[in-house]
Amino acid sequence: MSELQSLLVRVPPLSPEQTINELGDLFLRQEYRRFLCLPVVDNGQARGVVSRDRMQGIYMSRYGRELLGRKPVTAVMNRQPLVVDLDSDMEEASHYITANVRLPITEDFIIARGGEYLGVGHVVDLLRVMQGRLRHRNEEVARAYSRLKSSQAQLVQSEKMASLGQMVAGVAHEINTPLGYVKNNIGLAREFFEHLRGQLSAYEGLIDALTAGSPDEADIEARLASIASLRAEEGFSPEDVAGLFEDTVYGVDQISEIVVNLRDFSRLDHAPVDSVDLNKSLDGALLIARNVLKHKAEVHKRYAEIPPVSCAPSQINQVFLNLLTNAAQAINERGHILVKTEADARYVHVTVQDTGRGIDQEQLAKIFDPFYTTKPVGQGTGLGLTIAYQIVERHGGKIRVASRVGEGSKFCVSLPHGRGLN
Amino acid sequence: MALPAHAPDRPPAGRPTVLFVDDEERILRSLRMMFARDYKVLSTTSGHEAIDLLRGERVHALVSDQRMPIMPGVELLRQARQVSPNTMRLLLTGYSDFESVAGSINEGEIFRFVSKPWNADEFRATVAKAVDIAQQLELPEVPVARAGGASGEEGILVIDDDPGTVDLVRSVVEAHQPGRHRVDWAADVETVLRVLEEREIAVVVSEVRLGGEDITELIKSLKRHQPHIVALALTGYQDSAMLIHLINQAQIHRYMLKPVRPNTTLRAIESGLERHRALKSSPRLTSRHQVEVMPSTTAHSAVAKRILGFFRNLAPRPN
Repeated sequence: MSELQSLLVRVPPLSPEQTINELGDLFLRQEYRRFLCLPVVDNGQARGVVSRDRMQGIYMSRYGRELLGRKPVTAVMNRQPLVVDLDSDMEEASHYITANVRLPITEDFIIARGGEYLGVGHVVDLLRVMQGRLRHRNEEVARAYSRLKSSQAQLVQSEKMASLGQMVAGVAHEINTPLGYVKNNIGLAREFFEHLRGQLSAYEGLIDALTAGSPDEADIEARLASIASLRAEEGFSPEDVAGLFEDTVYGVDQISEIVVNLRDFSRLDHAPVDSVDLNKSLDGALLIARNVLKHKAEVHKRYAEIPPVSCAPSQINQVFLNLLTNAAQAINERGHILVKTEADARYVHVTVQDTGRGIDQEQLAKIFDPFYTTKPVGQGTGLGLTIAYQIVERHGGKIRVASRVGEGSKFCVSLPHGRGLN
Repeated sequence: MALPAHAPDRPPAGRPTVLFVDDEERILRSLRMMFARDYKVLSTTSGHEAIDLLRGERVHALVSDQRMPIMPGVELLRQARQVSPNTMRLLLTGYSDFESVAGSINEGEIFRFVSKPWNADEFRATVAKAVDIAQQLELPEVPVARAGGASGEEGILVIDDDPGTVDLVRSVVEAHQPGRHRVDWAADVETVLRVLEEREIAVVVSEVRLGGEDITELIKSLKRHQPHIVALALTGYQDSAMLIHLINQAQIHRYMLKPVRPNTTLRAIESGLERHRALKSSPRLTSRHQVEVMPSTTAHSAVAKRILGFFRNLAPRPN
């Protein structure tokens, strides 16, 4: 069914011979109340329309009715009415009508099929239909937008999970290594302790035997022999065991340091916005990334004394971690990473510079784009730097990059410290 | 794997030698103290030095960390395999990403994975087993008549519910040596058991799931009961924990992730057949393929029960 069918009002048209007076009578009738105009049709062809507005003009002018009343309607009709084909679609019709209708709206439009008159349509009805469609489309756009929003949130989440996965891998190895020797050392120390306990009780037995009222020579002999064999047993030297304890304490310290840093890093127990020493944040990020970094690069720190920055520490830490891991991944074999902080009157600048592969001009233009990644499939979501950019921007800061292929890249994050504003 | 021409013919005098490689000096110190009573312990933080040590003297077992600067564990194991093929290779690691696990199987042909922190008794037992096998490999080989030689049947069994896999295997095997190998296809456990009963199988190319069910248990029992069958995993699943079980308990020879190239498939099958021949001609080498028996994991699922029953009834094939 044609879309325009719903707008079609089959009104009996005027014939060209009908007079203006007759038309005037029609317009006064109740059933014609809604019509802005009436069509003039000859042989099935629409010749024009005469509007209520035009009629009012005639009747209100002096002697208008007397001069024109008996003339045929063709004398005053608009010979170029708006005509739409019944089969054209609503969109097209609406476009044609809004482009050509005279303002203020004084006429309806004619609906024809293949040039043959069918009836008229009211402009208001058409607008109402179009408004409905618009509302529907808006709803669709709103739905699509919310879908996009949620899939964007999912992607941000999956990028977070990807970096989390990387971090967990690194931290697991960092913790499991000291845990490995700490646990083993405790087992060895226990073995040593069992050995010592055996010796101790042998000595005690000997002393008891020696200090007994009537010493039994054979018993003492046997005890001495068993002590001699215990001493000959291959065991650890006390020096070895002292070293074991030293290593164990060192390992436990190392595990606690990692855990403390991990907690500081996520800052779950801190206010969302805090006054943060970025030098400390960087140290935390360096520790978390240590496992990735130590195999790829020598890290050089050049920290200046910098004023505290008001920021969401966990977010800023995420940015630093991202820049550091990127730097490590950009290095093929082994290289250097420089981490530098400095401050000017308004900003604290944090620079992460690597001696990696570098980024060419074409890639450089895209690195902050969502989903742009040069890493192999599965290794990067292409959102790391996009998120870093958003975080820095939300903090009123800037992130800039300079790079040269074969020489390395330099990322600079500048965050306002607010001290200069006061 | 052939024994090197210069295999020492003197009896294994003194204590066997174990080499530990880790970038954490404290791990090495702890391991040295743990093993010094039973072995001659060598240790180093450098992969390059480890290779030199392997060149310099007979080492029975090499235990390496994965994440090390300069030379990662996988690379060390790969080179060690060339320099000293009879040294049993073990990976001791705090965290294994999937790639390094797969690499240590495919390139390092490792004997076992051990996780940090380790269980001292289990670790001692694993090292002892490795050393024991290495010592047996050292003894002069009593040649075993090759069953049939080149004319003997060397069946290949593909276990996968995707017919694409068997098509791939058939096409590469046929193109390479027309009519040489019969390739059977099993898309369910019953067929696997029937084929094993009817035919001598040299190489199994297996998925790790069948009809939605985990069949790693099947591969493990297969290896446990017929150690000269060589298992290759060809799968769409990527899970390092599963892979570690497959190496420790099924001694899989290769791991391939779908989709796989025909060339890779052929190379893996060729290498599997070669390994199978070596295993058949040297029962001693078969011990190198010994797998861990995990009492806790046997007979859990219905599949495992069926398989266990099957292998109990199946008489061992003469070599």
